[in-house]
Amino acid sequence: MQNQRNDQLFCTLAMPSYTYAKKAEGLLRQRSKAVKIVRREQTSVSGCGYDIVVTGSCQAAKAILDRASVPYAEVSHDS
Amino acid sequence: MTVNFDNAATTFPKPVSVRQAAAKAISELGGNAGRGGHDLARRTSEAVYSARETAASFFGASPENTVFALNCTHALNMAIKGIMSDGGHMIISSIEHNSVSRPAYALFQQGKIDLSCADAETDPDRTVENFRSLIRSDTKAIVCTAAGNVTGQIMPLRPIARLCREKEICFIVDGAQACGVLPLTLEDGFNILCTAGHKGLYGITGTGLLISDGQFTIKPMIQGGTGSSSSLLTQPELLPEALESGTLNTPGIMSLKAGIDFVRRQGIDNIKEHEDRLCRIFIDGAKEIPGMTVYRNPGAEYVPIVSFNISSASPEKTAAMLAKQGFCLRAGYHCAALAHASLGTKQGTVRFSPSVFSREEDVHRLLRLLRSIQENRSDL
Repeated sequence: MQNQRNDQLFCTLAMPSYTYAKKAEGLLRQRSKAVKIVRREQTSVSGCGYDIVVTGSCQAAKAILDRASVPYAEVSHDS
Repeated sequence: MTVNFDNAATTFPKPVSVRQAAAKAISELGGNAGRGGHDLARRTSEAVYSARETAASFFGASPENTVFALNCTHALNMAIKGIMSDGGHMIISSIEHNSVSRPAYALFQQGKIDLSCADAETDPDRTVENFRSLIRSDTKAIVCTAAGNVTGQIMPLRPIARLCREKEICFIVDGAQACGVLPLTLEDGFNILCTAGHKGLYGITGTGLLISDGQFTIKPMIQGGTGSSSSLLTQPELLPEALESGTLNTPGIMSLKAGIDFVRRQGIDNIKEHEDRLCRIFIDGAKEIPGMTVYRNPGAEYVPIVSFNISSASPEKTAAMLAKQGFCLRAGYHCAALAHASLGTKQGTVRFSPSVFSREEDVHRLLRLLRSIQENRSDL
């Protein structure tokens, strides 16, 4: 889900595990994306876990992760 | 003074950096990796992921396919039972450690799989042909040690890997005695590499690795908390968490990272050269002791392990007499009944296995002592 805070776009993606959150973080940083790992604030259907918050558009971040076959789900709530 | 020549069981001493890493983890990494978002959990999670990256890079794998285990036996059990969970036919070699032969035999006894054993011969081509001749249409996995733990014989892994790829069979490799002295990576064609962390990789005991290329699904042997998808009653399917239920051994994992870094700094070739040189000194010295038998065949290749016997004492008695003088060598069957059956060593052998820290003068002292034992000298 794409959120806008202080005129800046943020994309929050739910990761299946901390390992994949770190993998995604590494891939996105290699492509100069500002990214941080956060604990999921609101428990999702599948339970607790980790999200990555990327500055910028979701489309660009998702394209990078898709190319590396890194699984993720878009967060369905406002972060 | 205690001299450890039983490094094939577990290396000792450990490098200073390994001891420091374990101690630092105990004092500073007190969170539960992959669980929670507080500072301790975050720091510990970061550290464990960094160790995962180190291990993955060392073995040519990706971090998410690098699973931490308790030891090589644990990793092999996960691999064998996880790959064979739906039955089928499996082939192992005749020099496997019980960490392979026992889980394989247990599945066979339970009627879950068919099991065959390929003879490991001195000629690597014949060994590969022995595997090839046993392959059936329902063969799902070949499990083979990279190097036997009794004699140290190196197995022809690359040709077996090619055979497996050709037949779409999962190739599981036991790297317990080879990792740290042979440059094994997934590029050699293995699908799953299992190894100990506390032997040639110099981590502390309680560490092991299962490295997968991700091509074959490994069903989990145990289920439990993974820190993710916690509301679901089903085990996550993605590695590494699928196979890492429960709290990880953070001090062990950090020691393993330091151990791998140590091996990298020393250089695998340099480590093997040093240990091989000590083995050559030992073997040359053994030739001068009448009645001493060394179990090596010309033409075969070996990692730095030497199995031997002396005619005047049983293996256990020989090891006991050496222990009285401070030498630690392992006698008996070395948890490898198949290998001793192949060798014909009914009472087992005594095993000499140096490490990067072993010294030449200690090998000469050991040889002098073995000569004394063989000559039944009364000063022992």
